[in-house]
Amino acid sequence: MRTWQNTEEFEGFLNAGGVVEPNDAMPEPYRQAVFRFIELHANSEYMGGLTERDWIPKAPGLHRKLTALAKTQDEIGHAHLLYMVAADLGIKTREEMMVDLLEGRTHFHNVFHYRVHSWTDQIAVAYLVDAAALASQQAVFKNCSYGPYKRILRRVIAEEGFHMRNGEEMMLLMAHGSSTQHEMMQESIDRWWLPAVQLFGPDSRPDDELLRWHIKSERNEDLRDRYVQKFVPQLLACGFTIPDQGLEKDPNDGKWKISPIDWEPLKQTMRNGGPDSARRISDARNAWNNAAWVRDALTNQPAAT
Amino acid sequence: MTITQEALDEVRVAVAAVRDPEYPDLNIEQLGILEDVIPDASGIRVDLIPTILGCPALATIEQDVLKAARAAGYEVNVQFCVSPVWTPDRISDDARQFLADEYTIAIRPRSGPTQCPVCGETSLQDRSEVGPTACRSVKWCPDCRNPIEVVRSRQGANA
Repeated sequence: MRTWQNTEEFEGFLNAGGVVEPNDAMPEPYRQAVFRFIELHANSEYMGGLTERDWIPKAPGLHRKLTALAKTQDEIGHAHLLYMVAADLGIKTREEMMVDLLEGRTHFHNVFHYRVHSWTDQIAVAYLVDAAALASQQAVFKNCSYGPYKRILRRVIAEEGFHMRNGEEMMLLMAHGSSTQHEMMQESIDRWWLPAVQLFGPDSRPDDELLRWHIKSERNEDLRDRYVQKFVPQLLACGFTIPDQGLEKDPNDGKWKISPIDWEPLKQTMRNGGPDSARRISDARNAWNNAAWVRDALTNQPAAT
Repeated sequence: MTITQEALDEVRVAVAAVRDPEYPDLNIEQLGILEDVIPDASGIRVDLIPTILGCPALATIEQDVLKAARAAGYEVNVQFCVSPVWTPDRISDDARQFLADEYTIAIRPRSGPTQCPVCGETSLQDRSEVGPTACRSVKWCPDCRNPIEVVRSRQGANA
């Protein structure tokens, strides 16, 4: 167990690339910040897994069903690992985290607050949203100061990379398919572009504690900018348009600039007031209640009637 | 058409370098997925062994093998074999080390108990039979307090 005299000494350790382990006497504000960050990630993996699950019966063909099944298992498995590490921080038990999520007291990423209307929506999620999530996870991994979280992220990133490849492959199929397929894909891009660029969150505050404590390594606006530079040309090359009237290429530096984002609707969404939040949370609650007998069986308690 | 040993060797070298979709730093030879490259009735056949039945990465691996062979100038057939059965013993020693160091993934050793890749602890606690992928189970290390994923074998013994 390592101990630090004060915040300055602890921050010096982090700035020198130090990695904090569970048995260390970490400062309480750091423990709280790491916990909140991992809990949000775990909740998002869990809610994402349930969305993916919805598409197992609806995915076209056996191969796509197999992929949807495997992705569901990935996301739920990631949530499982993350909840283990979050619970170990000693702030909430796993059950408390689940109940808080299902009662709407805690949060999950914006992208799981919207309805997935069609198969091409699901492709847009796999291609645009998974890529945004992967980019932000890679940035966390690069310089993450909490050891157990960093180790999970290493595997999460490898698996999400496989999802992204799958999303890209399905998107290309639609892009080069019939005109109906192309139009359907365009409609889905129109619905999911803004949620994807919003996933990175509003511009980071100068005093962001997550950056100071090396929980995150890059500012939200930098990640978003890199994402825009990569995905705008890819979408245009596939013959799609970007649903942003103000999008333009800066003649000075040749970089794509998106319109300013109105963050007010997102704030509402993140407080579980998004278009599909209530249905999704109630769906998760049903999944939790339907599995009560499994938890009871595991703990040898007679099932409540 | 006669298939020369040289052709088989060239295909073997080309397809051995195909990376696993879920462990992009490792190739299919290191993971023991590549079984053999042999002549068959229609030409050259590449035999692969899935780590687990129903693995969602098989189609991707197949495409990548075809592409790698084509880049070396050969058209091949890919066959997924049900025998021999894949076991963690097929993973090469360098890949074992890499999985432990980089991914915190443990593999049941050929003898003795499974060790925590982080701290070496041997009394790992069971958490779930399958993890994010069907080929790994999840354990908890009570010493360094890390979740550990352990590659499963189809014999069911994953301790």
